[in-house]
Amino acid sequence: MIRPVELHDFLLSFFASASIIVSGACYALLFAWARLAGRRAVLAWAYAAYALLAASVWLLAETAHFEGYWRVLTGAMLAGYFVAPRAVFRLCSATHAAEHDEQTRSAISRPSQENPP
Amino acid sequence: MLNIAALSGKIQEAFGALDRHHLNGGQRLAVKYFAVAMILFLAQLLFGLLAAIQFVWPGFLFDLVDFSVNRMVHINAMVVWMLYGFIGSVYWFLEEESGTEIVGLKWGEIAFYVLTGAVVIVVLVYLLIQTGPGNDATRWLVNEGREYIEAPRWADIGIVTVMLVFFYNVAGTFAKGRWSGISGVLTLDLVALAGLYMAGMFYSTNVTVDQYWWWWVIHLWVEATWEVLVGCIMAWSLMKLIGARRRIVQTWLYIEVALMFGSGILGLGHHYFWIGTPDYWFTIGGFFSALEPVPLVAMVVHSIYDAGVHRFRSTNHPALGWIIAHTFGNFLGAGVWGFMHTLPQINLYTHGTQWSASHGHLSFFGAYATINIAFFYLAAQRWRGNVWMGGDLKDNGWKWKWSMILLNLGVMGMTVALLIAGYEQSFIERAVEGSTWGGYFAAQNQPWFVQAMLWRLVFGVVTLAGALLLTWDLLTIGAGETRLALVLEPEEELAAEPTVAVAK
Repeated sequence: MIRPVELHDFLLSFFASASIIVSGACYALLFAWARLAGRRAVLAWAYAAYALLAASVWLLAETAHFEGYWRVLTGAMLAGYFVAPRAVFRLCSATHAAEHDEQTRSAISRPSQENPP
Repeated sequence: MLNIAALSGKIQEAFGALDRHHLNGGQRLAVKYFAVAMILFLAQLLFGLLAAIQFVWPGFLFDLVDFSVNRMVHINAMVVWMLYGFIGSVYWFLEEESGTEIVGLKWGEIAFYVLTGAVVIVVLVYLLIQTGPGNDATRWLVNEGREYIEAPRWADIGIVTVMLVFFYNVAGTFAKGRWSGISGVLTLDLVALAGLYMAGMFYSTNVTVDQYWWWWVIHLWVEATWEVLVGCIMAWSLMKLIGARRRIVQTWLYIEVALMFGSGILGLGHHYFWIGTPDYWFTIGGFFSALEPVPLVAMVVHSIYDAGVHRFRSTNHPALGWIIAHTFGNFLGAGVWGFMHTLPQINLYTHGTQWSASHGHLSFFGAYATINIAFFYLAAQRWRGNVWMGGDLKDNGWKWKWSMILLNLGVMGMTVALLIAGYEQSFIERAVEGSTWGGYFAAQNQPWFVQAMLWRLVFGVVTLAGALLLTWDLLTIGAGETRLALVLEPEEELAAEPTVAVAK
């Protein structure tokens, strides 16, 4: 069964839900940017976004009275949002890997064509 | 006096004017679908505006075209114009993707005229007859009475028949030509598209059972079959637009289908919270609704990755602009606005309020309208003879840029206004007053609600202005352009940089 959100927690509940998605997206965006650009400082901001997401999940769990089975949802959200951007980045790298290989090969072969020995 | 044959000839002549010799058969048919889609898009906005006016001045058109009728035409026009856009998009790329001519183009043409005729008749009946007694005659000829799919039963049968002709053309053409990852996913999806619609074609006197099946059409069409259909259209568009490789877009199409199966289908549970179904739907609906935004977050990563790799080089700037709008609109509308009120602990208060309308406006626009508009620009480019639609258009592209700004501003403004109204409604009508009749009126007359509805009307006018400008732009863009388009050819197999070719 469920216990509805209390009247005084109304705004907090909406805010926490929205914050989960927005901070989840910020974490994903910053994580991808950090990995693409190789910037550790951006990665730190990505984890800060994830910390905000974790706080929002906790706030939602409190205001929406997550108990029993609903606690599993809390864990699933925390794990899912942490893993999904990493998994997607790996998939992106894998699907584009051959493209990068070809570009590298053509970049290597180009100077030799322009300057024949 | 004009007879039926002459009228039919004039209609065919009008649509015939859309034909261009350099388009293939499927593309000529697609242009007709796009033309009707744009007319229905404008009709959707017009009737939405009338309904918005009635929220502010309830006496407006009272007893002539009531709010219930305006709202019905507004939503039905939206569903149908999007379907027209999707069908047109598939016909557009069918011959190129399959490498052969469409097997039943004549049937496709007939189906187009039958569907368009049926849509005109249904809308005229909605407007002129409006209601009937609660019997089978009304259900078959006037209005079936189910929200969003009010079309009478004869039209339902017609829609399924047209979908089957569409399926025959798609499956038959690919079977005759060549199959690909896109075509396989598309063909299977069309089976579901036609099949799921039939879930809304029978009637039960038990309202819970009736609603249970009705949601199969509403939720599973929108959050399953349409999503996959848009995925197929997007996959093909990205190959044309940014020269994305087939292997990559197909891999992502499979991932999307897997994610959709993982979250979208059982996300159906969030519609079963309050219709009399067992309690376990709270858990199923809550859990899978919470997972539904994960694919959208994944999309953010993929967009950043692709932006880094391809640097937004494209053949058609307006189309690319609308695809970027799709990414943001889908994320905000479906992700943020959806999750804010989807868990049963809060949905208890928000269900069926203006909060749902706020979510609906942004998510339909972001997820589907944007993709259709992007494809219209791709079609307009080829229709004009594959002309230049890059960065330095003759008029600096002010029409497409301003129409995009006005449409996005208008929809976002309506969304925020409806969000304020929905919050106030949930709070006062549901939480404070306990969903009483008195609570309903208290909420409707609250200044925040009244002001929000006024702002919704203002932004509705902005949206209509954007749509009119968009129509003007689609009719004129590329006219008189002599430069040929830059074509980034997608390659079948791995190759070096995307080939830059000049269109012939």
